This record gives sequence, C-alpha cells and structure tokens, in this order.
Amino acid sequence: MKSYDLIVVGAGPGGSAAALTAAEAGLRTLLLERAESPGEKNASGFALSSKAWRDFPFIREMELPSMRWCRKCVAHFLSPPPEMEERFAVSSGPSRRMSYPEARDFFTVGMLRREFDPHLAGLAVGAGAELRTRSLVTGLVRESGRVVGVTVEGGEEFRAPVTIGADGVLSPVARLAGLREKWRPHEVTSVCIIDFKASREVMDDVIHDAGFQAYFGPGMGGNFLIAYTDGVHVGGPGVTNSLVSRVVRSRSKPARELLETVAAPPLQRLLRAIRAEPLEWQAHCLSWMDRMPENIHCGGLMLVGDAAGLPEPLYAEGVWQAMYSGRLAAEVAVEALEERDTSAAFLASYRERLQESPVGQEFVAGVQLRQLFELLGDPEACGELEEMAVDLAVHLLMSGQEPKAEAMARVFPILMENIPTVTTLARIYLPLLLQVGEEKLRFYSALARGLRRLLERFPWEL
Amino acid sequence: MEINRDQLVKVVPSPRDFIFLDRDACDGCGNCVVICPMDLWKIRKGQATLASKYRGSCLECGSCYLACDRGAIDFTYPPGGSGVTYERT
Ligand SMILES: Cc1cc2nc3c(=O)[nH]c(=O)nc-3n(C[C@H](O)[C@H](O)[C@H](O)COP(=O)(O)OP(=O)(O)OC[C@H]3O[C@@H](n4cnc5c(N)ncnc54)[C@H](O)[C@@H]3O)c2cc1C
Ligand code: SF4
Ligand code: SF4
Repeated sequence: MKSYDLIVVGAGPGGSAAALTAAEAGLRTLLLERAESPGEKNASGFALSSKAWRDFPFIREMELPSMRWCRKCVAHFLSPPPEMEERFAVSSGPSRRMSYPEARDFFTVGMLRREFDPHLAGLAVGAGAELRTRSLVTGLVRESGRVVGVTVEGGEEFRAPVTIGADGVLSPVARLAGLREKWRPHEVTSVCIIDFKASREVMDDVIHDAGFQAYFGPGMGGNFLIAYTDGVHVGGPGVTNSLVSRVVRSRSKPARELLETVAAPPLQRLLRAIRAEPLEWQAHCLSWMDRMPENIHCGGLMLVGDAAGLPEPLYAEGVWQAMYSGRLAAEVAVEALEERDTSAAFLASYRERLQESPVGQEFVAGVQLRQLFELLGDPEACGELEEMAVDLAVHLLMSGQEPKAEAMARVFPILMENIPTVTTLARIYLPLLLQVGEEKLRFYSALARGLRRLLERFPWEL
Repeated sequence: MEINRDQLVKVVPSPRDFIFLDRDACDGCGNCVVICPMDLWKIRKGQATLASKYRGSCLECGSCYLACDRGAIDFTYPPGGSGVTYERT
C-alpha cells in the first residue's frame, strides 16, 4: 500500500489541472487513469473557450498540432426535413464589448482531446505528480466516515487524506462515495459524434477561422461542427434533443438524428468541399444541469468537472469548468492538509468558493438558459423564429425584387404579426435580466447613456 | 457519404463483462434500445437483451444505464487499458 498527500481519479482536464496545481504546491500527488493513455476515452475533438487563456498560464503557452483558432461562429438555420436546406444564417466575429482581451480576439480554439489530455497530464507529471494509466478505480477506502484512499481493479490500494474525483460524467467515485447513484434523465444528455479527417489546405480556404458552427432547425435542437487543423467533428443531436428524458419520451434515436443532420445538403456540401472522410464514430454522455449541483463533496473527497455536473446550462461547455474546479479543489486540498482537517465541514469551502467563482456564475438564470435552448428544439417555435428572421433580413437588407422603401416599410407589420414569438422570447429574457443583478444596473445606465446621446445628436432646431 | 458505424469504432475487447441486466427488474420498455448509439440492445419476448458481441463494440457511454428508469441495467467500466479507444488513426 502506497501513501500520498492527494489522489486524483481521472486524467481528463479536471483531474490533470488538479494534479498540476497540487504537485506545484508540493503535494505528493497520484493521478489514476483507466485508459491506456489519457484522452483516448474522451470523444476526440472539442472547442476550448477563450476563458481558458484568460485563467490559465499553462494554456497561454500551449501549442498543439491540431489547434485551429476560431474567430467566427456561424449558426445555420435549416428548413424542416426532408428538405433541410439553409433558410437563415448568422455569422459573427468576436464583439469589442467583451470584458477581457482574449474574448475580443477569438471565441474558441478547436483541437483534439487525444493531444490535449496527454499534454495536460504531462504538465502534471512534469510538476512532480505520479501518473498511473490502465488503472480503473473500483473502490474507496474509508476510515471514520472519511475517504482515505482508493483501490484499483486487481486489488492494489493507495492511501491519501484527500481524494479528488475527476472521473467524468458517470463518476464511479461519486457512486462509491454515496454522493449520487446516477444522474436523473433530465440532468444528462447522450451525444454522438462523427469525426472526419479532411485536407488541411482546403480547410484553410473553405473553413478558415469559422471553427465553430451550429446547425439548428425546427425540431433539430442544435447540432455542432467543430474544426481543428485537418478535420472536423459533427456532434449531435443538440443538447435539448439529446437529453435522456427527451430521448425516451420522443423515442427518437440520437444516433439516427445525427446521421440525418449529417445527410442534410448544406452539411454534405461542406464535407465534400473539404474532402472529409469519416474516421470515427463516438458517443459520450454529458451532465447538463440548470443549477449548481449540491452534493459534490464529503469527508476526504471533492468532485470536479463532469463528475460534479459542472457543464454550463446553455451549450453544456465543460472543459474550462473542469480545469477551474480541478484547480480550486486542489487549492482547498492544500489548505486542508495544512490545517490537518479533511472533514466534510472543512471541504465545504470548495463548493462555496465554486459557487462564487465564474463557474458558479454560469448557473445564474440557468433555468432560463435551458428554456432558450429548448425553444430552439421545439419544432413550432423554432420554425416561427426562423421565418421571422428570414422576413426581417430580406425586407430590411436583401430585397432586390421589390421597391426598396415599400419592402422596408413592411418590417413593422412583420414585427407586429410576430408579437407571440417576440413575447415568448421576452418571457425568457426578462426574468434572466432580473436575475443578473449587475447586468440590471448596466441595463439602466446603458439606457441613460443611449438617451443622452440621442439628446445630444437630435437636431432640436429643426 | 456512407457512415458505417461498426467500421468506425476501435475497441480492445474487454476480458470480462461490465454491463449487467437484472431480468426481474426489466419491464421491456425499450429505453435502452432507443438510446444505444451502437444498437446493441434488442427486445425479445418482452425483455431486453444485450448483444453478445458488446464487449468488443460498446462505446462505454453509459446511456443505456442512465436511460433505464427501472434500475435493471448496471454499468461499470471494462478493466483499465481495454475497451473503446478514440485515436484518430
Ligand atoms: C460530445 C461532446 C462534445 C463536447 N464538446 C465540448 C466542447 O467543445 N467544449 C467544451 O468545453 N466541452 C465540451 N464537452 C464537455 C467536456 O467534454 C467535458 O465537460 C469535460 O471533458 C469534463 O472534463 P472532466 O475532466 O471532468 O472529465 P472527463 O474529460 O470525462 O475525464 C474523466 C477521466 O476519468 C477517467 N476515468 C473515469 N472513471 C475512472 C475510474 N473509475 N478510474 C480511473 N479513471 C477513470 C476517464 O477515462 C477520463 O479520462 C463535450 C462533451 C461531449 C460529450
Ligand atoms: S431500459 Fe431497462 S427496463 Fe427498459 S427494456 Fe431496457 S433494460 Fe429493460
Ligand atoms: S454503454 Fe452505450 S454503447 Fe454500450 S451498450 Fe450501453 S448505450 Fe450501448
């Protein structure tokens, strides 16, 4: 039996960030991973948010062959099946109003987990952590009600006063600790992915920096395409349609929904253009909560990342959340060891600090954020939104077929006719606004600023 | 463009079982059949059955386990170093 200061279960982004932080602080740290090498169990491609460049020095220094910088996000809205042609698209670069420089420069960077996970685990090892792969944790060791170690399959036992469960959405550790049996069907999604290899040079021309694209459509719920240097992956169905509770209610197979989306003409044209060839079929679950989960620690144990249910409530982005919570849990572990107190009461500060952190802030108005996505998954509501957007865009900007002024004058009646759709959106947006205290103040000051500018510019003398 | 799922997964077959069905608890609802991304579940005579080849083709997503609200499916992982690998090779 070997002893450590800290055991981390799972070498995904959450576990490796925790192990790196702990090892840098001088803790004897053991990182256990069931895969042959980190990353190979984790669906391959992903988009890492610019938040990670803001918050982690080691991300700012990272260079991986698969990285493609995304400076343009595109949302495609398709007509319903069987046609599935593009009706409307929004494409945008980063906004100058974002609150930190990286976000004013790019949205995300697409890359492969097969490179990213080993890179992060390598940093933890470089800082002094011990990584053991092919090690499936199957038991927890307890003393006086606290977790004091783990056992791996085959019976080997490791001891440490603190354990961090970074073992992903199904988290055997959470289950063994009695913190949760399994996610309930409305708290978790089941997503499929097709990974394509493509020509890098052609992708540079065709996709360039539009590295994150989403495909919506009546009833489709938002599939996503993420681009890296020499390939793309298409995942789906979107979060609403992949909720386990929705799948069992609708009897609509996630795998079939994804295959149907990939067969849609606009996607097929894009895949042909970049000479994409299917390489891998993947599936993974993803926790998707509308509020910050409660039971994420007990004596001697903290859960981080997907094991704690931290993906945010709109798109279910979760890698930055995993790294942030991993680092925070390791910091709390360092304090617990200094104070020689690994009780549930002491480790409760992990959850409290997480709730106050940017990760916790992502859950503000979580209920409304999820409603917004559900609206896009609803065939009728999404169809109406789509047609309203088409009508407005065509009459305001793109009407070459009719007298321009007449077309533009129709914008107002179009808005009036769409009062029900606008009201539905407002019903979600207004409560969201009210829950964001600081934003509420900004809303009023922005209103005041706008009025002042209007008064300054208005030609009163006329 | 043809997407042949079976040809697009790489699995080192698990030397032991890691999904267990409690036949007494199963009511044949079919949730596992709908959700499995590899179509490894079928309903026969009102009861779920898992394809015998699952140890060599399951993606370890756990969807069947999460979708079974009767608690009839228990899911663990295959031993370290075996099972699905996402390698892009
Ligand atoms: C299809 C899909 C697409 C996604 N796309 C994005 C995206 O573009 N951007 C984004 O930010 N997020 C994305 N996410 C979410 C993101 O993948 C997760 O939030 C993130 O991986 C969570 O990191 P983690 O470290 O908590 O867990 P994981 O990455 O799941 O890592 C857990 C690790 O623990 C290991 N493990 C599990 N059990 C044991 C055990 N008993 N013993 C030893 N080891 C064990 C696993 O092998 C794994 O390596 C996506 C998720 C899915 C499913
Ligand atoms: S989901 Fe569970 S109860 Fe339903 S058929 Fe499958 S195993 Fe049986
Ligand atoms: S874990 Fe996933 S792939 Fe394996 S049998 Fe269950 S649903 Fe199918």
